[in-house]
Amino acid sequence: MKYLKLIFRNVGRNRLRSLLTVLVTVVLVFVVTLVWSVLWLLDQVTTEKSQNFSAMVTERWAIPSRLPFSYADPLSRGAAHKPGDIQPLDSMTWQFYGGTLDAKNFTRENIIFGIACEPEKLATMMDGLNDLPAEQESQLHEDIAQLKANRQGIILGHNHLDATNKRIGERLKLTGIGNFKGLDLEFEIVGTFPAGRYDTLAAFNRDYYNNELDAYAARNNGRKHPLAERSLNLMVLKVPDRAAFTRLASQIESSPEFSNPAVKCETMASGISSMLESFRDLIWGMRWLLAPACLVTILLVIANAISISVRERRLELAVLKVLGFRPYQLLILVLGESLLLGSVAGLISAGLTYGIINWGLGGISFPIGFFDRFMIPTAALWWGPAIGGLASLLGSFLPAWSARGVKAANVFSKVA
Amino acid sequence: MDTAPQDGKIVRIHGVHKFFQRGSERLDVLNGVTLDVPEGEFLGLMGPSGSGKTTLLNLIAGLDTPSQGEIWVGDQLISTMTEGQLASWRTRNIGFIFQFYHLLPVLTAYENVELPLLLLPLSAAQRKQQVTTILELVGLADRMYHRPGQLSGGQQQRVGIARAIVTDPTAIMADEPTGDLDARAAEEILNLLCMLRESLHKTIIMVTHDPRAAQRTHRLLHLEKGLLVEQVNA
Repeated sequence: MKYLKLIFRNVGRNRLRSLLTVLVTVVLVFVVTLVWSVLWLLDQVTTEKSQNFSAMVTERWAIPSRLPFSYADPLSRGAAHKPGDIQPLDSMTWQFYGGTLDAKNFTRENIIFGIACEPEKLATMMDGLNDLPAEQESQLHEDIAQLKANRQGIILGHNHLDATNKRIGERLKLTGIGNFKGLDLEFEIVGTFPAGRYDTLAAFNRDYYNNELDAYAARNNGRKHPLAERSLNLMVLKVPDRAAFTRLASQIESSPEFSNPAVKCETMASGISSMLESFRDLIWGMRWLLAPACLVTILLVIANAISISVRERRLELAVLKVLGFRPYQLLILVLGESLLLGSVAGLISAGLTYGIINWGLGGISFPIGFFDRFMIPTAALWWGPAIGGLASLLGSFLPAWSARGVKAANVFSKVA
Repeated sequence: MDTAPQDGKIVRIHGVHKFFQRGSERLDVLNGVTLDVPEGEFLGLMGPSGSGKTTLLNLIAGLDTPSQGEIWVGDQLISTMTEGQLASWRTRNIGFIFQFYHLLPVLTAYENVELPLLLLPLSAAQRKQQVTTILELVGLADRMYHRPGQLSGGQQQRVGIARAIVTDPTAIMADEPTGDLDARAAEEILNLLCMLRESLHKTIIMVTHDPRAAQRTHRLLHLEKGLLVEQVNA
């Protein structure tokens, strides 16, 4: 504590250099925080949970997975037939749908991608929606109640709401695109997902969707829509733990009910990992090239600034030695200066990143797999100072070691 | 640490050699110096450049160790101490005054004088009292919150002297303390050193090229080619 004043004064000695060092560190910590935020969320969703396992059932041999909707009922029971067979705690059907607001000129902004599902399952089966803060949870429950009451209701993500320039209560008409051509749906917007992970998703009532698939045949002389027999894309099942999951997976995969097409049952984490497989190189590069490159750059910038500072102050360091400062005390003084610079820069950067990205921009736009937008986690508020502090300590170690070894007699013989 | 009877001598140097190795060449700077300095003496060291004055001063101050021989300061043999031991020893026993003051430019006069006290187990209040007293003693009570850049050369040297004596050291080493000052400021500094020696009974060893400074010492030693060649009583 006694040396704090000296450390502060030394940092303020060359303000321009200190300011530039802080600025470079702020920018680099900003980049590292962005990269780590994306990786953090991907790690979260691809890491197996020890409890409340989510299992995902998809088509075994085809991507994208398309299962008959008739699979939904037996799958919701986990293909349990005999006494002693395990049943999932809960289940949710996912039927994908993509449509545009402007069939003649569809752009990324006017396309809405959504899932048809059981409305009440949104609150219990969707990762991130089952552990919301009280206020958001109560709003979500209100929206779900609206969705249940209104078969043509739809809950939109924030991005869709912004891009379509619509408000809750307004209606919208979607023209099916791609595989969904011929399925034109009309909705009333009844709510929005909480900001964050589901900003680019929409959810609506599966009964309406299935009805429209049936109505397609009636409108087309009995010719069914190509998706009519294969409208279930995946089924999410909840089980209490890994042991239960293993039994359930074996039950489902060996059941003759699901032989054509065959199904596979994997954990949600491993399912998402499979979906992210095509981004493997990008994620690898972010994790092992981009983030480390930024860290090394911070380290070099700080090492350079502290080296110059130590070189300029050899005489002063020698004076301190004459006054009785021990080598380790000089080491602490120099390391303290860099730690101060690095951790303050890290703290500023973390605060700015959190504020600008989460409050200002509403997340980082980085479409990858199911995910479109990434929020900066609260944990990033300590990543910044930790990254800055640690990198600066490592970077300044050699200059500090050199300061520690200053020989007063040699320095003064040169001065004389 | 070794201890020995002092017999009224504050510094005792026996057969000290110091050489530096520059590649294959050996440079002998001190060649068997033997010297006793009584407590309270004001000793002057003179000699041409390269004669070993500063080296001898550095050895007595524990900034360097001799290649051979013994150096006792007070009752302690410092020539065998490690770097860490010498550092702690210097804090309590040696005050060093530099030709170019070497004050830390980012600190005020008060903070510069307080620096060596940070190494001692003193409370902030004790440090404040000691620093204030010393700055008053050197006549800078009204300049204590000025930074070195805001002080004249003479005032800076007074701060340097205050810093050297604030820990109440056994001996004060002064390396050409008037070398960077005009005649008037030099005179003031010499007066201050004499006053300190008399009032605080401090032992002062001063390297100087200045004949006026030399005249103020009790004893003047000449060093030439690493040997004490002349002793003159001032």
